[in-house]
Amino acid sequence: MSASASPRPRRRAGAEGAGPVARAVAGAGVPAPEHLADLPPAASALTGAAPPEAAFRQFICRACGLIYDEAKGDADAGLSPGTRFEDIPDDWTCPLCGVGKADFEPCEPDAPADARAAAPDDPPLPDRAARWAARAPGVVVVGGGRAGWQAAQALRERDPALPITLVSACGGDVYDKPVLSVVHARGLAPEALVRERATDAARRLGVRLLAHTHAVSIDAGARRLRTTRGTLPYRRLVLACGAAPRLPAALPPRLVWRINDLEAYRGLRAALDAPRPAGAPRRRHVLVVGAGLVGCELANDLALGGHAVTLLDTQPRPLAAALPPLASQRLLEAWAGLPLRFVGGVEVERVARVDAKLTWVATRCGLSFEADAVIAATGLATPQRLARSAGLAYDARAGGIAVDAATLATSDPAIHALGDCVAIGGRASRFVEPIARQARALAAALCGAPEPDGPDAARPVALRIKTGSLPITIEGDPRAAGVWTVDADRPGELVMTLWRDTGAVARLAARAPEEVRVRHSA
Amino acid sequence: MDATLETPRPKAAAPDPASPAPATPCASAAAVSDAPAPLDGDALLDAVRRLADGPLAELADDIDRRGVYPRALLQQLGTLGALRAHHAGRGLPGRDADYGLAIRAMAEVSRVCGATGFMMWCHAACGLYMEQSCNPALTGAALERHASGRRLGATGMSNPMKCFAGIEPLLLRARPAVDGWRVDGTLPWVSNLGPDHVLGAVAAVAPHGGRGGTDAPAGEIMFLVPCEAPTVELRPCPAFSAMEGTSTWAVRLHDHPVGSDALIADPARPFVGRIRAAFVLLQTGMGLGVAQGAIDSMRTVERPLGHVNRYLDERPDALQAELDALTARILALAATPFGTARDFLIDVLDARAHASELALRAAQSALLHAGARGYLLSSPVQRRVRESHFVAIVTPALKHLRKEIARLSAEEYPA
Repeated sequence: MSASASPRPRRRAGAEGAGPVARAVAGAGVPAPEHLADLPPAASALTGAAPPEAAFRQFICRACGLIYDEAKGDADAGLSPGTRFEDIPDDWTCPLCGVGKADFEPCEPDAPADARAAAPDDPPLPDRAARWAARAPGVVVVGGGRAGWQAAQALRERDPALPITLVSACGGDVYDKPVLSVVHARGLAPEALVRERATDAARRLGVRLLAHTHAVSIDAGARRLRTTRGTLPYRRLVLACGAAPRLPAALPPRLVWRINDLEAYRGLRAALDAPRPAGAPRRRHVLVVGAGLVGCELANDLALGGHAVTLLDTQPRPLAAALPPLASQRLLEAWAGLPLRFVGGVEVERVARVDAKLTWVATRCGLSFEADAVIAATGLATPQRLARSAGLAYDARAGGIAVDAATLATSDPAIHALGDCVAIGGRASRFVEPIARQARALAAALCGAPEPDGPDAARPVALRIKTGSLPITIEGDPRAAGVWTVDADRPGELVMTLWRDTGAVARLAARAPEEVRVRHSA
Repeated sequence: MDATLETPRPKAAAPDPASPAPATPCASAAAVSDAPAPLDGDALLDAVRRLADGPLAELADDIDRRGVYPRALLQQLGTLGALRAHHAGRGLPGRDADYGLAIRAMAEVSRVCGATGFMMWCHAACGLYMEQSCNPALTGAALERHASGRRLGATGMSNPMKCFAGIEPLLLRARPAVDGWRVDGTLPWVSNLGPDHVLGAVAAVAPHGGRGGTDAPAGEIMFLVPCEAPTVELRPCPAFSAMEGTSTWAVRLHDHPVGSDALIADPARPFVGRIRAAFVLLQTGMGLGVAQGAIDSMRTVERPLGHVNRYLDERPDALQAELDALTARILALAATPFGTARDFLIDVLDARAHASELALRAAQSALLHAGARGYLLSSPVQRRVRESHFVAIVTPALKHLRKEIARLSAEEYPA
């Protein structure tokens, strides 16, 4: 079956044996090594004897790499162990490939395994930089949300030729996430939120799109991103992988919704809009756990959409972390006409399935609820897997990958990050507003040309709370220590200022939509 | 998969299906008394390296092309202690299970012969099943006999692993019987088998009274199959690339009795879930070793061919750095081989995938470095290309690993 199972007939040395192939290999090979000079002089070969005390040597076939070991000889050719190379008859041929004796050269033993680390690769070629640029992998962006697309766009604006690959765990369609909180009030179907299909955005920006692909780990040393659709070499990596809902242990993922992306929202809407048996009410009972920003917005919107909503929080009032008590009070009053009930000061202890339709929620203090759907809005955290695999500095207190405010560079100079997954100056940024500026600063840093106005990625941003019944805007830091004063407090409107010795540190304006205020004043 | 033989070869400890070999004498504790004490740590790795670079290197071409089954070498590895490193309380004072050591020993062997490294894994996986079964009949003296290599073992888990991942149905069917179960069916290819070997297998349990096949299974059992049993038939398989010497057979069970003495787990699924990370981690030794062997062979042609090889994409220094980083990552994961956290499982599957990819790249690059001399059938360089392909397709194959990582990475939502 195989060549060596039945040794093929030896070819004779001579014109055929040392034929064109062998000569070509030898000719294209190494210039005559210096140590050829160490070969025994011809006289020694003529006498047919190497000095008996000399150690046995090895000779390598330049055509096939076979090694003739003097210690072993070549039994098939009648050369006993110990036969010196120069004692081999001239018509001897390589037992493997058939070339002649002349095509052998002295062989130094292989480097021992220990020498592996010490053996250096060749010095850099003069044209290495040019070769590198010609075939260099480009930028790989992880994340198909706003931050990922904004980064791709900013990079493309800077460099029309840069190879960009975008890896997205979801489909990567372009949409405005904040709108997820006001879909009902605006009477929109989830599909209407998509501003641009991922494939269209990719074509427009000249981006290679890997949708439904999970980024698994980063081999930072080899500059390779490992994904579920293969491994991508990168010159620069941009992490725009967002933050993920943080679920308390009492809320199992298979029983509660988290609304952090369009696909999850589609799932929730499909569950709420599913056809019901005849006679059953269209209205669903939705329980929202967590009355922070997202929880209040979603609860308000679902209630405006006609569902009965119960909103739970461990704090006694909604938005307790962001608002002064009077503002929370006005928000509760704005909800008074809606099928929306706030239950404060409770902590969920258990969630269980009642049947295919109903989910049961129990609190530590003994309350229990049944709902058609349970939504957890219990905060966000940046998943650490990718950052950890690359050994990136992670701000555990803020819950984000630590990046430089000016360049968005992580602790690895080849890796940048932006959007919800980063922490800048000890604070995580979970808002939409800074993302476009971060993308521009990042693209400038990657492409080597700073922004003309200098980086401004860390400018403070206004916080807009889209509670449909009473939208609230906050400028400055509402959590700072100080005293709130009321500038205006009339039906449908509340304006407050937070003061410290140095002056105003935050300003809050809550204004009901026009039609609500009209109703109030009537 | 578990891998093959074109025809039964005399050297390969080939069983005669018509007359199964008699059972090897039951090993008693006394049988070990004259065996040398197993080695550990660096002393073990040094000894394994010597065996690999010496007798194994001599035999590697025969294993590959003549289908020689290296039974004696495997048993020498057992005597050295290389087949017991991953077992707890392995008779070494102050030492507990050391998966990192088991992986490194397997890598040293795979560096020289990927097929033998694969057989080491088959045997180690079987030992993992026995040890974790907590069945007194499969631990104790039986496990000692296995861990020392006096009795060799195999794993028939390719099919169940794929079944549990939703890729294919179970091939073995078990019927409840008075004294346990009776099992029928055929596993198409199981490696490292012989007439006196054992293998771990899983069967779907048919509902009571059913003959299996039509009724929905009532769960699965996992059990050890002694190949000398008259109800076990080993049948030759077609030839497999790079795995000729792995003594791979189709295993046909005819009304094979499984009693409590042979039971590894009932139900099987939770057990398989528990040992999955350890099972996959052990496999990484194959990929690491094949990659290292390829890098080594690139180095050996550096002096004569470096002046042209520098134009190739993947160079030995960069590959070695990547391999070293991956090895460190795998050894860190191997410190907790029975982890079940989602992120840990993803890391383990990803490390196994990385080892496959690196072996593929390194083996391919080594061939490009060696040129025609590496393309000779007798050259380990081209053999390693085939071995690297095997590392990437043996269950869990690269595609299965990625599919499972994607499944574990997806967010879970209410149905």
